[in-house]
Amino acid sequence: MTSTIDSIRDDGTGVPVTASIVGKSPRELAWNRFRKDKFALFAIGVIAFYIFVALFAPLICSALGISPTRLDGQALNDYGLPDGPFGNISTSHLLGVEPGTGRDILARLLYGARVSLMVGFIATFLTTTIGVVLGVVAGYKRGKIDAVIGRMTDLTLAFPSFLLIIALTRPFTQRLESIGVPEGNPARLTYIVLVLSLFGWVYVARVVRGQTLSLREREFVEAARSCGAGNSHIIFKELLPNLWAPVIVIVSLSLPGYVSTEATLSFLGLGMIAPAASWGVMLGDSVKYYRADPTYLFIPGIALIVLVLAFNIVGDAVRDALDPKGDRQNLL
Amino acid sequence: MKRKSIFGAIGLGLVASVIAASCGGSSSSSSSGGAPKKGGTVHILSMGEQIAHLDPQRNYTGTDLAFAASTMQRTLTSYKYAEGDAGSEVTADLATDTGTVTNEGKTWAFTLGEGGTFEDGSAITCADVAYGVSRTFATDIITDGPTYAISYLDVADYPGPYKATADQQAAFDKAVNCVDKTITFNLKVPVADFNYTTTLTSFSPVPKALDTGEKYDMKPVSSGPYKIESYEIGKSLVLVRNDKWDQASDPIRHAYADSIVYEFGLDPSVIDERMIKDAGDDQFAVSESIQPENLPTIFDDEAFKSRRVDYYDPFVSYTNLSVKNLSCLDVRKALYLALDRDALRKAGGGPYTGDYADGFIKPALALDYAKSKMLDGLNADGTANVEAAQAAMDAAKTSCPDVAKHAADGLVYYYPDTPVWAKAIAIWIESEAKVGITIKGSPVEASKYWPTVMNPDTNYDIVRGGWAPDWANASTVIPELFATSGGFNLTRNADDPDYAAFDAAVTAAKADLDRVSQGKKWQELNQYVVDRLWALPGTFLKSQSIWGSKVGNTYQWGPYGSFNFGELSINS
Amino acid sequence: MFLFVVRRLFFAVVLLLAVSVFTYLLFALLPTDPAALTCGIHCKPETVLANRIRLGYDKPVLEQYWQFLRGIFVGRDYGLGQTAFSCPAPSLGYSFNQHACVTSLIGETFPVTAFLAIGAFILWMIIGIGVGAIAALNKGKWQDRFATGFAAVGVSLPTFYIGLLVLFSVVIWFQILPFPSYEAPLDNFSAFITAMILPWLVLAVLSAASYTRLTRNGMLEAMNEDFVRLGVAKGLRLRVILRRYVMRQALIPIVTIAGLDFAGLLGGAIITESVFSLPGMGRMSIRAVVDSDLPVLVGTTMVAAVFIVVANVIVDIAYGFLDPRVRVSS
Repeated sequence: MTSTIDSIRDDGTGVPVTASIVGKSPRELAWNRFRKDKFALFAIGVIAFYIFVALFAPLICSALGISPTRLDGQALNDYGLPDGPFGNISTSHLLGVEPGTGRDILARLLYGARVSLMVGFIATFLTTTIGVVLGVVAGYKRGKIDAVIGRMTDLTLAFPSFLLIIALTRPFTQRLESIGVPEGNPARLTYIVLVLSLFGWVYVARVVRGQTLSLREREFVEAARSCGAGNSHIIFKELLPNLWAPVIVIVSLSLPGYVSTEATLSFLGLGMIAPAASWGVMLGDSVKYYRADPTYLFIPGIALIVLVLAFNIVGDAVRDALDPKGDRQNLL
Repeated sequence: MKRKSIFGAIGLGLVASVIAASCGGSSSSSSSGGAPKKGGTVHILSMGEQIAHLDPQRNYTGTDLAFAASTMQRTLTSYKYAEGDAGSEVTADLATDTGTVTNEGKTWAFTLGEGGTFEDGSAITCADVAYGVSRTFATDIITDGPTYAISYLDVADYPGPYKATADQQAAFDKAVNCVDKTITFNLKVPVADFNYTTTLTSFSPVPKALDTGEKYDMKPVSSGPYKIESYEIGKSLVLVRNDKWDQASDPIRHAYADSIVYEFGLDPSVIDERMIKDAGDDQFAVSESIQPENLPTIFDDEAFKSRRVDYYDPFVSYTNLSVKNLSCLDVRKALYLALDRDALRKAGGGPYTGDYADGFIKPALALDYAKSKMLDGLNADGTANVEAAQAAMDAAKTSCPDVAKHAADGLVYYYPDTPVWAKAIAIWIESEAKVGITIKGSPVEASKYWPTVMNPDTNYDIVRGGWAPDWANASTVIPELFATSGGFNLTRNADDPDYAAFDAAVTAAKADLDRVSQGKKWQELNQYVVDRLWALPGTFLKSQSIWGSKVGNTYQWGPYGSFNFGELSINS
Repeated sequence: MFLFVVRRLFFAVVLLLAVSVFTYLLFALLPTDPAALTCGIHCKPETVLANRIRLGYDKPVLEQYWQFLRGIFVGRDYGLGQTAFSCPAPSLGYSFNQHACVTSLIGETFPVTAFLAIGAFILWMIIGIGVGAIAALNKGKWQDRFATGFAAVGVSLPTFYIGLLVLFSVVIWFQILPFPSYEAPLDNFSAFITAMILPWLVLAVLSAASYTRLTRNGMLEAMNEDFVRLGVAKGLRLRVILRRYVMRQALIPIVTIAGLDFAGLLGGAIITESVFSLPGMGRMSIRAVVDSDLPVLVGTTMVAAVFIVVANVIVDIAYGFLDPRVRVSS
């Protein structure tokens, strides 16, 4: 046990150690809680790993001597199927080759990660930005503006979004190309990100509006107002800092959804254009080889599942960490 | 003719490009021993959502024509119901013989036989046949069908029976006139094999009183041994026996099965799986094609020997080049030499895809086929010849620098947006990059592919091509594909300096009534095109089929490249 | 209260009108020419022009929209002379690909979608709420971990992938069930069940994931409320507390979200229907996209929107009954 005496006074009595009691900010408390969750830390590591390999995909590929576009007919048999077990995994092709072309699967997986993560991050960023802005404005100003934004929300929600996304892919990609977006994959990606944001901001806005509604009635806002703070000060200095918590939760939980949607669109043939790789394209292509090359069926799937799982674990952990009530004993 | 739903059903990425089609001389025989038995229900498993057109004047796909003609639509003449080469010969169906030709090929007469009836019991008359033919002219409602009637018949300005004035109808009735049971066609150009044209269901009879125009596609009136009981798009088409059909009046059909059920909307992998398993009702089923990735399973295993076949269908695949944009032969040569055809073949399934083509006419058209002299430097095994290609490109830099630059900047290749084509285009991009040619793939939604590329306003450099002769004469190949008057010319070669001579030779060949000498002319014209590479010869396609263990009479019908659906039987 | 209901209903009608305008304009203003796509491979310019007139695409867009809107109330006629036909009210157009009125096509395909939605709904509520409740009651223990993991995985996995894997493993690899081939329950009940069991399970399990999370978090919040502590202090039994207080508070938002999700599903579960070959509205929609069958696309979009809007109205009115603040603020 550590000493409780700090020093000795002249008269011989001890000066007790008084551990300084420093109040911890909610942020620090949350971070401490989060740190204890081993799963979440591991998940963050996984996400970081994915981001790293996605960013450095070209370097990694040239280091390993693989390429996502180079054909390797030698690795295929006469029927065009991989000429070895497990999709012909070998030292030159660590995860096997793609049936039909002989392209390296690991390389395509790495490049595919770039597309999937890029779509996920940009779409999340856009939806969050739009959603937060509109949500705060609606929740803070109330009245007419709130009503208008509310109607916009209702209108957006009324449409069967998935069907429209599919139906409008080609014509809108063409429109984008005609106004100057580079044709091919840049136009496709732009369309996907735009349309996901167009339908996705609603969910963020709703949550943010709800939070703003309750926050604006809190004492610290009243206090700020009574000090003469203007609206913009209240919004930026009082409300937004308190909104980051639910927003982070939304971000971490919606990003995997966007990655998943991009995969579905690619599967439907509306995603990346050949020869670009994306996980969705690989998944869609792999399905018909369930009999001839089942390894191909599992590899991109597992990659996607692991990423999605990691984001969800982090999101759940953040939410649990930020919820002060969660610390209470379970009563029952 | 078109291939059936080449690009598959629900563009869900589950569909491979179907290389289905009809066949020429078959390799392995199919019918089991003994005469086919009567009775039972045949199932046809299809990845399509519907039959494109059941309306006889709108039907133009190989498999669909085989289906309709053998079950519900009798025609004046028909192909023989036999396998192998015999199946490509013409025989009488509604007519008493294969027609009488006079006036140097410009007048054809057929006499209708006795006893032909529609499903309501009424007799098929000459007027019904004439009415059917007239519907082809109503091109705003009767869409998608073959338009030979319009190109051949000696009548101008006829808008079809729904809108014609009395005068216009009279003009048509002169071109196609009926005297008792004899129907006479007056053509504006001589057509030596018009009796092959009449095998198309465009020349099937339609009773005027029961014509429902746009809706006839769902419930055409049957003149054959089967009639429609129910038709639900996306689900099934059920045919049952037409009790008003008189076997004695029909010289060719046997109608063994009691009922035929077409099942729609099935996933191609699922179809293959069911055919492999051969369980329950699937023992009475046939499918339209086999996916390339499942071919090894079926063809490497002796167990499937008695219910599979691998044969040459009538289709040829090739690549159209826009001669307008790529007006330089050196560049076209470089494209061909650099292309890794071996990789393309592997991506399509290897040896089951077919053989490297040396032109656009398949050996099955014996009179019209001759081995072509291929481009110097082209490797026989299909691998790329990069040195020769580079040499051609270097020559192009001096002989046609603009085109060479265009090739280096990027050639636009419109391709159908399917997973198999995604791989094919990747192969194109990779192989052409080796000689500095950039290929920019531009995917087009599979179902819109043909309308998009056939639109004269669409600017492309390369598009795909696939074709089969409409009947056993290269007059339905060479002029269709390479003459400006042809219905399927995607080469944009009208401005090529060598075109005028080509066009004149084509006209001469079409007018040649001597089949043998005409055949020699087609051979020369084929070589002419190959020498100039207006299109790059691709593959003489093969097709594979599998059927359930209890299905009989499964021969592949030459002209259409599919089963003779109406003749399938069930061995109990 | 009555005024509130009327206001909501009126707004719903306005919303539906807005949706119809948007949808119609959206599709009508696409750069691709729908007339050019009606005539396959042998398309001459005269044919395209004739088709454009026949289908009514030559008229100004607003007039086309007006015809469409009118058709919903009084039906619509097509063609001339002998080949004329009509689609009775409520007409959503005519599909030249399938040679049938859009309304009757929807009438045929909707029951399949409805069966799918109802079965999946029941299953996902049971699974989602059940697993979520178990997780909440065992917070921190392995049940909670497992449930959270299950929720995480299920929420974001692409349906097509899981659906296909399930299809392959159950039907082909382990051969537990035959290939799904849909038949109406009245025609062949056992075939109906065999065809629906896999799509029900796949859809339910994947959807249940988010309800697991919602239930777990909702219950945990409710359990931490003061009135629950009061109940414990009063000595009420666990089951009573759960039933009377916790579940009621936790379930209200869940049920409303589920209602909205269910309504969304009624518009067609596109991927699930395609993977399991169910002839429902979702599969018809994607078919229409591939074929550029605009009347069907517009029709199914409208029908899907109707379900969503109606569900929203019901939810709002229900909330209006339950929570007076909502009435005042709207």
